Amino acid sequence: MRVVIAEDLYLLREGLVRLLEAHGFEIAAAVDNGTDLLSALLERRPDVAIVDVRLPPTFTDEGLRTALAARRQVPGLPILVLSQYVEQLYARELLADQAGGVGYLLKDRVFNDDQFIEALRTVAGGGTVLDPEVISKLVGRRSRDEPMTLLSPREREVLELMAEGRSNSAIAQRLFVSEKAISKHSTSIFIKLGLAPSDDDNRRVLAVLAYLNS
Amino acid sequence: MLQLVLVVAYFAGCVALALRREKAQGRMPSTLLGRARAVGWGILLLPLALMIGGLFSPASGPIVFLLLLAGMLAVLWPAVAAKVTPLALIGLGLYGLVIIRALARGDYVPVYGLVSPSQGWARTYAVLSQMWAFLAFGLWLAWRMMNRQSRVAQALLWEKQKGQGEGRRPRWGLLLLPVVVMTIELLGLSSWFGQDWWRAGATVTAMLLALVLISLVPAVAADLALAVLIGLGLYGVALAAMWPTHIQLPSVYTDQVRYGTVWVVDRPTAVLAGVQGLALLASGMWLAPRALDARTRALFWPAPDAELAGRVQQLTQTRAHAVDTAAAELRRVERDLHDGAQARLVALGMNLRAAERLITSSPQAALALVGEAIQTSSTALTELRDLVRGIYPPVLADRGLPDAVRALALDTPLHTEVDIDVAGRVDAPVESACYFAVAEALANAVKHSEARHVQVRMQHARGMLRIEVSDDGVGGADPLRGSGLRGLERRLGTFDGILAVSSPLGGPTMIVIEVPCALSSQKTSTC
Repeated sequence: MRVVIAEDLYLLREGLVRLLEAHGFEIAAAVDNGTDLLSALLERRPDVAIVDVRLPPTFTDEGLRTALAARRQVPGLPILVLSQYVEQLYARELLADQAGGVGYLLKDRVFNDDQFIEALRTVAGGGTVLDPEVISKLVGRRSRDEPMTLLSPREREVLELMAEGRSNSAIAQRLFVSEKAISKHSTSIFIKLGLAPSDDDNRRVLAVLAYLNS
Repeated sequence: MLQLVLVVAYFAGCVALALRREKAQGRMPSTLLGRARAVGWGILLLPLALMIGGLFSPASGPIVFLLLLAGMLAVLWPAVAAKVTPLALIGLGLYGLVIIRALARGDYVPVYGLVSPSQGWARTYAVLSQMWAFLAFGLWLAWRMMNRQSRVAQALLWEKQKGQGEGRRPRWGLLLLPVVVMTIELLGLSSWFGQDWWRAGATVTAMLLALVLISLVPAVAADLALAVLIGLGLYGVALAAMWPTHIQLPSVYTDQVRYGTVWVVDRPTAVLAGVQGLALLASGMWLAPRALDARTRALFWPAPDAELAGRVQQLTQTRAHAVDTAAAELRRVERDLHDGAQARLVALGMNLRAAERLITSSPQAALALVGEAIQTSSTALTELRDLVRGIYPPVLADRGLPDAVRALALDTPLHTEVDIDVAGRVDAPVESACYFAVAEALANAVKHSEARHVQVRMQHARGMLRIEVSDDGVGGADPLRGSGLRGLERRLGTFDGILAVSSPLGGPTMIVIEVPCALSSQKTSTC
């Protein structure tokens, strides 16, 4: 699997390269600024990209903007955005095109390399991964939108884990129930949110989006 | 001669006794200067007693009595003696006036200070210079010893502090009292010791009028005092310049002019009057810009207009607030770093060190420690993240105010509508102040309002950024109660911004922030 890495801190960039190589990824490019990132994304067409939100030359949300620009040209280009902080605003922007294949995680999550690699693979496979911090902020909100109030507490729990990018089997493990029960829950969630039966991955993305917009 | 020896011996004895007393109390400086200081100013009462005694008569009775009294005070109650000394000096100085008057009349004159009775204008000079020396020394001592904290001193010298930032201002109106005394003297109306009832009545009435003015309209009293002071000074200078002719004031004295401390009878006394006039004039000129009422001052010194002055005061205040806020903020950051991330990094280091020691002997325990270390580092990162968010929120840095407010609305656990019409960015400090004001308003809405909906409207028109945060809650928000909104109001004040709260009981609550600011052309991208 070919990866493009955009990270301006040398130590972190090298750490990521080493980590990914150890897990059998191929590093297509490792860049340290937004301009190089865009050309790397468009020319190398990686299977997945890891992008830091804050990059030179502006040191603002250069990475995020570049990622969004690249996805406008190559819809669904899988990108995992890393940041020192997470914002719902940015999460929405990433998910807005409903194409899937996006992730948004705190940089700390790299510490747990197994989960990080799993998240990277989920994104590469077209899934959606949101940081638990974004999710927990959402949980703090009292939802007033009709569809969300229809969900049972258990279903909301499943939806939260879904937003974190976990597969049905991982959710089942986490909640100590069978995978079958989870798939029942998720079908119920899709129906309640009015999502037509289609490709399961896409429905998951849409469910998470509905959740974000609640 | 014998008397002189006796007096000197008595003085020496008093000094020695005073020093012994100091020594007995364990305070004995080794240097000569220190010893002189230890005896205190009270010892001056002895020569003063001698001089005051000399004023009465050559008879030794009062002198001996006064000397004994002074010695007793200086040795036994040095603190009391020190307080009496300036009063005695001032009294002696003032009595010089009486002597000068007597000299001019050709009356009998007792010993004054170091001068023996005699006639002639040279004596007048000698008495006059001593008089000024006594007065100046006495006033200086009194000033030195005055307890600045005492209420009397404050009432005399300074107005009570009015609110913050105004500082202390002397009560210049009090100046009217000495000025009135001088005028009365000049007009020959004074009758301090005499039995001339109508003159005494006029004196007392003038003083009472002055007191009424001072207490009722201090500003007018100060203006009047200065005007008269300068007038008196000019008159003195004119006397000297025009001698032997002179301007006849409606004075009691028809043939002579008394000016200040002298009768103007010949050229030297006229010069003396001129010198005194110059002194009065100079002090009047020096005091004028300080003591005149602000409105009067504006007539003479084309002052910056009131608006500008108000602006300067406001800027001074808001600058002080800004500096305070910045300092408090730095302290908070320091404390947070110290108690948070810094402490966690120490713990992290210790854990890793312990793990290093255990790794061969007890890998399981080492593993647990490493796990703990990872947890600690993650907590430290979270704390740092929260800290950074409190200093300068990342979205604000990345995107500017509109998107930062949108992000705030998203994080608010209420149904929050955002309506933003701002195309461009405002200066970073203004953005930051507005951001935290909106954040506080939203947090208040969540905590206190019981609202279901919150609306944030932001627009920039005619050089004014206006933000409205309104909710449909129960209202009753008191901006004076919470320190949060007031702090933000001050922070906005630095940019001439305002924060207004309308929150009647029963709601709704509306908070309006207005800051004059320009937009830079840089567009905010919301993708």
